[in-house]
Parts: sequence; C-alpha cells; structure tokens
Amino acid sequence: MSSNEALDYIRAHPEGILQSDLWKALNIDSRKCSRIVAKLLKESYITREVESSDGIRTYRIHYTEATRSGRFRSLLAVDVFEPCAGCIEECTPEHCAKLSEWIFAIVMGLDGDAAMENA
Amino acid sequence: MAAVEEIIHRAYLNKLVGEEGLRIVECIPGEEITDERLAELTGISLNTVRRTLYLLYEHRLAVYRRKRDPDSGWLTYLWQLCPENFDKALQSETKRLLRKLDERLAYEKENIFYACTEGCARFVFDEASEANFVCPFCQGSLEYMENSKVVETIERQMVDLKACL
Repeated sequence: MSSNEALDYIRAHPEGILQSDLWKALNIDSRKCSRIVAKLLKESYITREVESSDGIRTYRIHYTEATRSGRFRSLLAVDVFEPCAGCIEECTPEHCAKLSEWIFAIVMGLDGDAAMENA
Repeated sequence: MAAVEEIIHRAYLNKLVGEEGLRIVECIPGEEITDERLAELTGISLNTVRRTLYLLYEHRLAVYRRKRDPDSGWLTYLWQLCPENFDKALQSETKRLLRKLDERLAYEKENIFYACTEGCARFVFDEASEANFVCPFCQGSLEYMENSKVVETIERQMVDLKACL
C-alpha cells in the first residue's frame, strides 16, 4: 500500500473519511495508516479535523482540492522530481542513467512499502 | 516577494533552476523587476540571475519587456513571473515524460537482462552473451535479472501520469 493509493482512496470520498475507517478500508494496520496520513499531511495533499465516532476520538480526512499540485504529484515520485524536466542531454530513454535511477528508486520505494506491510 | 508554496511547483523550479534559482524566483515581486535589481536583492551573481530568468522564460514561467532609456539609449529588461503557467508547463512535462516512459517500457519488455552481481551495470542478453556473462568492468559474473517490477512500475507510473492530463 503506497501513499498514492491511500490518496486516491481519500480523493474518491469528497465527504471525507474517518481515519479509523481508512486503515480498515485499505487493509493496513493503524500505525501504517498514521505514517501515511502524516506524510500526506506534510505534503499538504490532505487536511484533517478531530471528530468523535461512537465516543472514540478520531479524525475526518479530506482531500485538499485547493492543492492543485496534487494533480501532478506523479511527477514527484519518491520525493524526486522526474528527471526529464529541463534535461538538455541527448535523449535515449532506453539507456538514460537518470531515468533508470528514477525508475529504480520508485521500484525500491514500492519494495520498501511492501516490506513495511509485511513487518 | 512571490512565495512558491505548492510543493510540486517548488520541486519543478528546483529541478529547472536549482536552489539558487529558487531563491531568485522567491525574490521576484508581483510587479516588474530588472535583473540587476534581482541580483542586488539576492546577492546572487548577475550571470546566474540572467541564466535563471532565461530558463524560466524558455518554460513560459517568466516574461520580459524591453524599455529603452531615453537619455542613454540603453535597453533595460523588465521581468515578471507567470505563475499562472505552472499547470501548462507541468502538463507539457507530463506529456514529454510519458513519451520517454513509453519508449523505455517497450525496451524493458522486448529484452532479457543480465546484471553484474557486484552492481556495476545491467546488460541485455546479446551484450552479456558476447561478454561470456563476465562483467567487463569488474570481471564479476553476470546473472539473469528479473525486470517484471520495473515493467509494472513504469506501467503504473504511466497510468498515474495519464490521469494528470
């Protein structure tokens, strides 16, 4: 489960979603969910406010429509902006070291997420 | 001063013009400003300021207007940011990246890869075979490398990128 998948799920719920429901829906544990939520909050993709559900304090999470950058977030994978922007080198996507590095970093990032899930 | 608040815009500018360039951008006010004044405000060399402004201009993120001094006849360039063009610029970067990833995906799907066990490099089957499966850099052995995760990642990234358009 990556933060992108979680964000897609949150975005699909314009009325907002309770954090206590989010981790169940995503089939992850609450600690993993907290880490993902913290990351998305830090990157301003979501906002959240305290809400009580059945007497239990939780948060309602909303996708930040105003954050237009969310639309292009795929250009910024694993905190690295895609390597082709501003590149003036001769382009051979098959052998480009910078493109390879970016792709492999995403692969490693996904592996890292999988490892966290299995932990 | 124009604070660049959007994370993706900051990351994009950082990629285009670097950290110094980003500092320059943040000192560009809402109204027009000369390159000399920007150099004074930021303490960054005039060459770097000009290079940054021209890079922004190339990506339609800044515009300039020329003004001739009536006394000296010198031309002054007055610069202004175009933050409203960020989305267009990012859209065009997305399309460009999609074309590159499409080519890369075909290459990943069409080839079988062998990688140096010491991590030097990755080779397609023909190259590895010609080298007798010995790394030309460290003489270590070349072993089959599964690339299905690479293929999946590129495909997934392309789906996400297409959703941006």
